[in-house]
Amino acid sequence: MEAENDKVLSIKNLKMRYGRKDVLNGIDLEVTKGQIIGYIGPNGAGKSTTVKIMLGLVDDYQGEVVVFGQDISSGDPSYKKKIGYVPENAEAYDNLTAMEYLVFTGELYGMDRDAAQTKAELLLQQFDLLEVRHSRLSSFSKGMKQKVMIIASLLHDPDLLFWDEPLSGLDANSMMVIQEILAQLAAQGKTIFYSSHIMDLVEKISNRIVLLVKGEVVADGTFEELKEMSKEGSLSGIFNQLTGFTEHRSKARDFVSIVQGDKADA
Amino acid sequence: MREFQSLKFLSIFKGLFTILGVDYAAMEKILQIKLTMDERRVPTIFQDAGKKKEGNQFLKSLWIYGLYSLILVPFLLIGENYIFQLSLVFGIVLFILMTSMISDFSAVLLDVRDKNILQTKPISRKTIAAAKIVHIMIYMAFVAGSFTAIPFFVGLYKHGFLFSLIFLIELLLTVLLVVVLTSLLYLVILRFFDGEKLKDIINYVQILLSVGVVVGYQVLIRSFEFANVETVYVFSWWHLLIPPLWYGAPFEVFLNGDFSSHFMAFTALAALVPILAIYCYAKLMPSFERNLEKLLSDTKTRRQKRSWLDEIGALLFCRSKEERTFFRFAATMMKKEREFKLKVFPALGIAIFFPLLFVFSYPAEGGLEEISKSSMFLFIYFCNFMIPSLVYMLKFSEGYKGSWLFKAASIERASHAHSGALKAFFAKLYFPVFIAVSFVFVWIFTARIVPDLAAVFLGALLQTLIAHKVVNEGDFPFSASFEFAQDTGTAKMLLLSLLTGVFIGVHFIAASYTYGIYIYIALLLAALWIGWQKVFPENKKLGKENSNLALNRTD
Repeated sequence: MEAENDKVLSIKNLKMRYGRKDVLNGIDLEVTKGQIIGYIGPNGAGKSTTVKIMLGLVDDYQGEVVVFGQDISSGDPSYKKKIGYVPENAEAYDNLTAMEYLVFTGELYGMDRDAAQTKAELLLQQFDLLEVRHSRLSSFSKGMKQKVMIIASLLHDPDLLFWDEPLSGLDANSMMVIQEILAQLAAQGKTIFYSSHIMDLVEKISNRIVLLVKGEVVADGTFEELKEMSKEGSLSGIFNQLTGFTEHRSKARDFVSIVQGDKADA
Repeated sequence: MREFQSLKFLSIFKGLFTILGVDYAAMEKILQIKLTMDERRVPTIFQDAGKKKEGNQFLKSLWIYGLYSLILVPFLLIGENYIFQLSLVFGIVLFILMTSMISDFSAVLLDVRDKNILQTKPISRKTIAAAKIVHIMIYMAFVAGSFTAIPFFVGLYKHGFLFSLIFLIELLLTVLLVVVLTSLLYLVILRFFDGEKLKDIINYVQILLSVGVVVGYQVLIRSFEFANVETVYVFSWWHLLIPPLWYGAPFEVFLNGDFSSHFMAFTALAALVPILAIYCYAKLMPSFERNLEKLLSDTKTRRQKRSWLDEIGALLFCRSKEERTFFRFAATMMKKEREFKLKVFPALGIAIFFPLLFVFSYPAEGGLEEISKSSMFLFIYFCNFMIPSLVYMLKFSEGYKGSWLFKAASIERASHAHSGALKAFFAKLYFPVFIAVSFVFVWIFTARIVPDLAAVFLGALLQTLIAHKVVNEGDFPFSASFEFAQDTGTAKMLLLSLLTGVFIGVHFIAASYTYGIYIYIALLLAALWIGWQKVFPENKKLGKENSNLALNRTD
């Protein structure tokens, strides 16, 4: 284990329930500086809820969540200054232009207006978005918007990144750029916590993989360690096995036959 | 992005916000962004046409409040019986503010969409909540401002400076009262329910509130025996529960020097309740934001429900399969869409309530017997008065983005979508209200009014058709965002509603001749027949006439 001051994030026995439904059943997680963590799991496993709790969006949880040494239940939002977040579905204020949105985000993180502007322009240029910086986000394609969201999460040079499905809508080239950016950021000592459903990518990018099923961590380790736990050679194989999903072929067969059956009736 | 005058004005209160624990700089930034976005809401139709229609659409629709405000002026001019006059004035002001708050700004208050954007940033919840409520207050101030600007100057001219000062302070307090009390009410509801159930409850509370405000206003008028203006006010304890009276009293105290204890109590309530409410709100704000999260979660599973009434309606009123599909679709949308219900149901409630109220409260010496011989059943036209705005609402939906389906699916005749939706509206919304009022009226006025009711009903059909032709043609039903529901066509809507007056006029003339009403009915039937063919030409069955009429189409 690394030194105590390298600890960025620590979750102890985290539990959460919505109404009568248990979403998280006691999660324990320790994250240290420089890790790239792929947070994976089937739909409804509780991935987004965990991230929401860490960001202070949900606060009626049980257990202890400490970020940068600060217990976040204290209600003091200052720990968020060093966090960057890319939300699922690229939620943003669509009526703003890219520049307006970026400067606004930067300012909320306490940046100086001019500094935010200059930095945003430079970063947009890197993604070939400088031309459209004064167009509204609502006119952007999904990939363009995603790039803006990624820039928005990095503008204030955070130490911890939460990226929820950061690669959705990006083309193959952009994905490679992002992948490289992640690796270099981690080398600089940033910690990255991201979730994705694209297993090949998670396999390539992450140096640690956490698999969540029904609100519990069922696997936690490097890809190599996970491979040892399972007979499968690929992460999606491991994923299938650990989530207990084996009948994909028969499911598909039934599905297609229902589709065609409908045609025969008409 | 530009600087906003309203924010400059707001900075006067910077110190106050800081004392309350709000990060003023962050709040100002959020407000600036929100106001910028409000300016940019552009109806999709304009974007398609490549036309730029910038500017805050809401602010542009404010002139209508200026027009409405003229009804306040007589109350200011008639004398110095302040408790009577000013209570009425503030009753109307509270009514307008409350309606606007419930129907237009509840959505802003209960908005959870930007939670992910704002709450992930290092800003305290208090600041976010404060930004939200100030955002609403800015608009409420505009509504209040445009509604009271003319009355304010009339008051200044007629009653002098001190009057205007009290007026202004009270106006500020009423805005506070309305916004904060509404928020507190939501806060209570949010505590006890969650998910879809919660949304339904909020929806019904909003509808009830809207109707309640109207009814409350009637009660206010009745708490004066207003046979003449020189009415002397007599206090009873339950008057303490009527906010407009709180705001009428200070004028008596400061201008007429009437220091009687009940007026002092009213004055105290007028000032203390809003301040107390804002204090409570500041305390409870964080839990409000937390409970908002509940709106997103829904853990219940539901069973499929099918309405037999809708099935029968679809079979009875629609001639093609496609039209039936749209009838059922529209019927379901009307039942499920909360925003739609919120905009429509209060109007329906009022459509039931007003005709009855006018008839029963009419000061007739001979009682109901005298009334039953009169033509007061014409008040049933109040139901028709609502039609244009209700028809207009058919265009909007919360899920308007799903309307690509209409373009992607192979729909044979687009007009089926409209006729199906119109028929569903008529069968599901107008008809029940009309029947309810008719029932009571036949009981009061006897069966002699049945032909008249038939005429009213046909008039309603015709007005529906005309309203549809004027405001809805072109867009598929449920295909525009509610954001634009209040912007466009305010003047058009007003004219369309006033069309009811024309129907009443013709009806009145027809009724003064023997058999006149039957000729009127025949005319209405003919007009309906022709009108329906013109508006929905493809629905026609007979081929020959159809082609002729199709040539006559204007578009």
